Amino acid sequence: MTDSTRSLSSKIDQTDIDQVVTTGMAFPFWTVFKREFSAYFRSPVAYFIAFAVLLLLGVLFNGYVTFAVQSGNQPADSTTIPGLLVFLMFLIAPLLTMRLIAEESREGTLEVLMTLPMGEGQFIFGKFLAAWGYYTVLLLLTVVFHLLLTTIGVPDLGAAFGSYLGAWLYGGAVLAVSMIWSAVTEDQVVAAFLSAATILVLYLAEIAASWVAGQGSVAGVADFVRELGLQAHYNVTLARGIIRAEDVLYFVFLIVGALFITTRIVEIRRWRA
Amino acid sequence: MIEVENLVKRYGEVTAVNGISFTAEPGQVTGFLGPNGAGKTTTMRILTGYMPPSDGSARVAGFDVFEKSLEVRRRVGYLPENVPLYRDLTAHGYLTYLGEIRGVRNAGRRADDVLMRVGLGSRSRSRIRTLSKGMRQRVGLASALLHNPPVLILDEPTIGLDPLQVLELRELVADLGRDHTVLFSTHILSEAEQVCDKVVIINGGTIIAQGAPSALRASLERGGRILIRAGASAAVLRDVIAAVPGVGSVTVGMDGVIAVPASAEDDPRPRIARAVLDKGWNLTEIRPLAINLEDIFLEVTRQQAAANPTEAAPSEEES
Repeated sequence: MTDSTRSLSSKIDQTDIDQVVTTGMAFPFWTVFKREFSAYFRSPVAYFIAFAVLLLLGVLFNGYVTFAVQSGNQPADSTTIPGLLVFLMFLIAPLLTMRLIAEESREGTLEVLMTLPMGEGQFIFGKFLAAWGYYTVLLLLTVVFHLLLTTIGVPDLGAAFGSYLGAWLYGGAVLAVSMIWSAVTEDQVVAAFLSAATILVLYLAEIAASWVAGQGSVAGVADFVRELGLQAHYNVTLARGIIRAEDVLYFVFLIVGALFITTRIVEIRRWRA
Repeated sequence: MIEVENLVKRYGEVTAVNGISFTAEPGQVTGFLGPNGAGKTTTMRILTGYMPPSDGSARVAGFDVFEKSLEVRRRVGYLPENVPLYRDLTAHGYLTYLGEIRGVRNAGRRADDVLMRVGLGSRSRSRIRTLSKGMRQRVGLASALLHNPPVLILDEPTIGLDPLQVLELRELVADLGRDHTVLFSTHILSEAEQVCDKVVIINGGTIIAQGAPSALRASLERGGRILIRAGASAAVLRDVIAAVPGVGSVTVGMDGVIAVPASAEDDPRPRIARAVLDKGWNLTEIRPLAINLEDIFLEVTRQQAAANPTEAAPSEEES
């Protein structure tokens, strides 16, 4: 190694400094995305999730088709599968996001990354895109159920498109919200648990709304609570092929808001580290 | 070039860094010396733009670390303590990743170059988890050199290495110091002496001394304990030396006697030597006892406590 250290010192001279010119590329998030996205496919967790989800959906789909064929009067409905996937997100999203930031912060690699010329926003965005990307792959795999339906019936294409678009946005929003907890704690299990709880609360806002309505409160409060929840923007609109700007915006705002909060948390934790 | 001015970092009630000022010049290795919890890591994290200072300012390569954090990060190569790495990546993959984030042109080729330079060319395709501690340290160092930054900040780079690796790393740091501004922290005094052109000694968040290592050592050894070995029984020797003017106290130990000068200003060694020789004994050895860093800190904190009893120097754990 002595020889190599000598060559190291002799090579690092002024000309060498000129040679290593950085391009000043402004998209480090893309590099982060590529690493994290490929990391999913190198981890057993991601394969386990895909396997379990597809198996469960397959079994349910099989039951649904069998029932539909026997009863003879069921419509070929492509929205069932994305609807189920969306429901399962309270289990899937925490598993996909729990390690994203918690692991970097526990391993100390966050310190390395946060001393690179890269803003927290780029870092968080890259991580989020990776999780959303993995989810997108999973969602695309479930399109096979729609294709199967087309062989035995005539599913409503509009509803199918709406429900898949909705499930895609829904997934993004839930993953972004879920990621907040990975930034809050270094403990992946805690992060996963809190994420699942948060998603369930957002999912069950519907029930809270009916309870509030039952209490005979001021008009509008129940509606407000309902509109805060996830189901109100998916079940009765997108899942039926009704694409409303307000529903799309709800999910987009949820993504942007959650990413903003995550970025701030990473920043604050770094400052107080 | 690193310029630090009255830098303060507080974590709630705890003041980790309390108004330190120093500069690190280009073409020099500046040693940052202090015990654990002295505030070294905190200072380095501020200098690398990882966290903002509570008060005061610091400029690295001409840019304020808080106002122009990204500019500073472009010009700094940082090796954090404990060298965090992605263990699932190969050394080459890891460096390529960092290089791409930094926007280094041909990041993959550059990764190979720096790995070659730290002597890891043959292991560049091994997963980091299979590399030894010393190799990981070198991967970390390679990552700090990736973009050939003018400023290198290395936090305890020799910790956990075997003696040979420590030597190699010191040599490397000294070499890098010729054309970079190098700030490197250590808690080993002799290491700082060997490698550094300048040392800054920090304890309890304040700088207690700075300057060239040889000068520092001389000033710290002045008034320090002196070991005397001579051809006479220890008890007799002790009485003779105790009678020498300028000698404070004398104890028997280490196969000889240990004398403490009465005053730091007055070196009694020549008089001790003469007294021994006048008795007709052979003087085998007379030397200042090597001072280790722990002794210096004990001494300095004792002095601080004595001078200012209400404000004993704190030494909180670093986070």
